[in-house]
Amino acid sequence: MTFGLPPTETLRDYRIWDSYFTPAFSHPGTDGSRDLIKDMERSMTAIQLGHFERLCYFAHVGIGTTTDPALENLLRTQPQLVLKPFERWPNRLLGMIQLNLQNTNDSLKALNKWVKDGPMLGVYFPGSGPGAANCLNPKAIRLVERVSELGGVIMQHTWLKTGGKRSPNESTPIELAILASRYPKQNFICAHAGGEWEQGIRAVRDTPNVLIETSGFDATAGFIEMATRELGSKRIVFGSHLPSRSMGTELAKVITAQISEEEKKDILGRNYRKLLGVIQSRK
Amino acid sequence: MVAASEREKLATMPAPPSINHPLSMPSRVIDTNVSLFHWPFRRLPLDEVNKLCAKFQQLGITEVWAGSFEALLHRDLRTVNERLLRACQNRGELIPVGAVNPTFPDWKHDLNLCLGRFGMPGVRLLPGYHGYALGDAVFGELLETATKLGGFVQVVIAMEDTRTQSNSIQAPNVDPRPLQHWMQQIPEARVQILNCRPSASDLRTFASIHRLAVDTSRVDGTDGVSTLVKAIGIDRVLYGSHSPFLIPEAACIRMIETDIPGAEVKAIMQENAEHFRNSKSTSRQNQQKQGQ
Repeated sequence: MTFGLPPTETLRDYRIWDSYFTPAFSHPGTDGSRDLIKDMERSMTAIQLGHFERLCYFAHVGIGTTTDPALENLLRTQPQLVLKPFERWPNRLLGMIQLNLQNTNDSLKALNKWVKDGPMLGVYFPGSGPGAANCLNPKAIRLVERVSELGGVIMQHTWLKTGGKRSPNESTPIELAILASRYPKQNFICAHAGGEWEQGIRAVRDTPNVLIETSGFDATAGFIEMATRELGSKRIVFGSHLPSRSMGTELAKVITAQISEEEKKDILGRNYRKLLGVIQSRK
Repeated sequence: MVAASEREKLATMPAPPSINHPLSMPSRVIDTNVSLFHWPFRRLPLDEVNKLCAKFQQLGITEVWAGSFEALLHRDLRTVNERLLRACQNRGELIPVGAVNPTFPDWKHDLNLCLGRFGMPGVRLLPGYHGYALGDAVFGELLETATKLGGFVQVVIAMEDTRTQSNSIQAPNVDPRPLQHWMQQIPEARVQILNCRPSASDLRTFASIHRLAVDTSRVDGTDGVSTLVKAIGIDRVLYGSHSPFLIPEAACIRMIETDIPGAEVKAIMQENAEHFRNSKSTSRQNQQKQGQ
């Protein structure tokens, strides 16, 4: 072990697929990709040290998910710009689109263009920004139904914050569990396990079509142990939150957990590959 | 991107190229930020001293500056510090760092015990949990007294993300800006910030307060440590993990994830802490300047 990292062979054997890669998360750059590419380059040391096989990021596709009207127009009129990162790293990147829950019509069109007919594998429901809405909002429900028809993956941003929500558009794991119980055949990923994971895990425990994602909060000890105990390793997917979080913070949560090596493989990649398999089989 | 044409390629694609990182762990590594005993709000996998020390040995951590979780809520700090001292006595790698609460009557008694009879090299303060600000006069008095007694002061900015704290016991992040005043007033003072996840504003503050040391435990972002080094200078960054609350490996892995040369890794993980612990006056950088 070097600096806390397992040997290269062990890391390769984990077959790490990152479900939550967040380069230039709120704005890809005024030309549609510059900051995105820069942040991906910034993450490469960690990606290579950790031997990550694949990373999934959440693209803006010109449907009003940023606060920059010029960028939105650019991405709408030149959609090929969205694909630039994939041209650079065709065998490393996976993609989902950020949906605008305040604009259902454009989001439905984007679902057809990018998920049904395009290369994207699912959607991201944001917790903040102009595209955010609470996951129980009726507009969100229309989008869930369409994603479900397409077999896509739904990543829902969640947090359970001490003192309550900072915005009514945020969603909690409790609300996601309510939504998911209405669509038992659709899998939902509860991003960040609610942040305050002791309650987040409890909130989704009895909703088997909700998986939790591991990134976005400090490397608090005991998280993966509790999640594995309460949900089972098959309901946990790894996320890196690179580059705004570190591989140290995010990978350490899983590789140091007091669980079996097979359970670590479930979390670090196997579960996510299985989730993506549904839509991949239709493409 | 997984398109139809690529599915087979995905299944057979070789693993990404590896980085054979040239760095190796320094022969001595000092973790300046550890706490013993039980976190008040849940059990932690490594909250027994034997397990924690075994982990440090596995990681190659040779010296650990240990405070006590009990200091967050206990009022009888003398017995808190005595238990900490006893736990460290038969462990050569553990260096006890006692707690003082300057809002308590006769806090100087605790300070004198820690830095005198108990032989501790410094004390750890928890303003967020103990209910005072660094701008309060009593903090200045404590810093001045500790400095006269030859001890350093660690200031805990946070123990836990404010968003995940208990609903009934919430501790705000401590504002470090008043340290500017005290570090000017007390030029011999040695102060280390613990557990700060620094914003751009925090980095500017730290950069402006000469001699202030900062630990790496919550310096997140894939290049967070190198950003901190660029902002405040290499000689003021000290390795810390905030374990066992945080997973010990997290801070350790960040040291190679961030692009800094081996000499700087050694400075952060060993030399700066040695200098901070042993120096009773100014930073290494200032001493070097004085020697020129």
